[in-house]
Amino acid sequence: MSENWTEDLDGPLTTLLDGPIEVERAELIPGGASKDTCVVDAVTPEGELELLVRRAAGGVIYSETLSLEQEYKVLQAAYEAEIKAPKPYGYLEDLAGREAVVMARLKGESVGRRVVQKPEFETTREILPEQLAEELSKIHAIPLEQLPSLPGARTEPAADYVLSTLEQELDTLEEPHPAIELGLSWLRGHVPASHGIVLNHGDFRVGNFMVDEEGLVGILDWEFAHLGDPAEDLAWPLVRAWRFGVDHLRLGGIGEVEPYLEHYNTLTGRRITFEELFYWEVAGNVRWAIGSLNQAKRHLSGQERSVELAVIGRLASEVEYELLSLLERGS
Amino acid sequence: MQDQPSAGELAEAVRGFLEEEILPNLDDPRTRFRTRVAMNALSILERELEQEEGLLREELARLADLLGKDTATPETLEKLRERVIELNRDLARSIRHGEVPEGTLERLKQTVADKLKVASPDYLERYD
Repeated sequence: MSENWTEDLDGPLTTLLDGPIEVERAELIPGGASKDTCVVDAVTPEGELELLVRRAAGGVIYSETLSLEQEYKVLQAAYEAEIKAPKPYGYLEDLAGREAVVMARLKGESVGRRVVQKPEFETTREILPEQLAEELSKIHAIPLEQLPSLPGARTEPAADYVLSTLEQELDTLEEPHPAIELGLSWLRGHVPASHGIVLNHGDFRVGNFMVDEEGLVGILDWEFAHLGDPAEDLAWPLVRAWRFGVDHLRLGGIGEVEPYLEHYNTLTGRRITFEELFYWEVAGNVRWAIGSLNQAKRHLSGQERSVELAVIGRLASEVEYELLSLLERGS
Repeated sequence: MQDQPSAGELAEAVRGFLEEEILPNLDDPRTRFRTRVAMNALSILERELEQEEGLLREELARLADLLGKDTATPETLEKLRERVIELNRDLARSIRHGEVPEGTLERLKQTVADKLKVASPDYLERYD
């Protein structure tokens, strides 16, 4: 991995922010595997800016990951709709050979394990379910014509599109996974009522929520945004892998599902039921089981050599176990 | 036959080295995290070396039962692996085409629980 692109940010940032600016600090941080993230402090005539620069790093987890340019446009639309999200500063087509996005750096905690476990976030966890429902209701209300062309479902029910995409992704792995097939088979037989097609954040879960002691600070990581059923997005944070060890709290290890779902329904006028949420929770586990196996594939193919990605492949069996446990409950 | 130590004992030696001599000298959180992941990978390897064959034989028996296939056990580990993949392929294809043999869910759950014995043994304790 070439890391020296962080040494040469003055020029591009000066152009982007209508300079003159001076980069005081530029530091790569551990984070998402498909992008490099760099913490940047820049001095401008108007004062200091705390920024994040996200730059393409090669691999993707799912076949339908957005380009950084699309992600930037989605973030822009979200920010304009007053959704809690980092302020986007601009898109760079060529930052040392790869595209990049510059955005504000939010202050707080987003590491899943800390968000669900740390005592100082106890009050935050109490109010978070309703705050999340509110943000999601705003995301799902963004007019589609304000967005770039996005992957996802064009016709209802969106579940049909999701199922065929998951099938294709599973086939691409070129190895048999009967447990995941069984999940897909159940999903095909239980397609729920459609609630329309809206902008889905696509990775709305603990780990992508920046919080502080007062509550939600911002929703991060918009790279999996797509068009889909609102219930798909609503159920994704229920997936057990995103409870970070606090398994009995079904909403991402932070709370119960009821207040979250009720608040969302009240704000949107939709009538999404627990059964529909359960359906999309099963779909979410299928998606993450395939996603985990794909991570190992990235390592094995040489696209991105990493012991971390290699081990995630083996942890797909945790997701398969959860999937089969849900199917037991659902049969 | 190779001399001692066994493959598992070699993996264990590397894991101990990482834990006792490398980890205490690392400051960078990212490298520390990855070292722990590497240690975890080695412990998966240790468990697999010990349990693979037995677990594969049980998986084969369940698959053969579900699919109504011959239960004769292949003689070599290599052939056993191939046979299990083959039957998993048959079962996966059958489910894709809407034919789910009676008892599939229950047996797959046993097989996945067995995979967890190697990949993540603590995980099962999180279910009651």
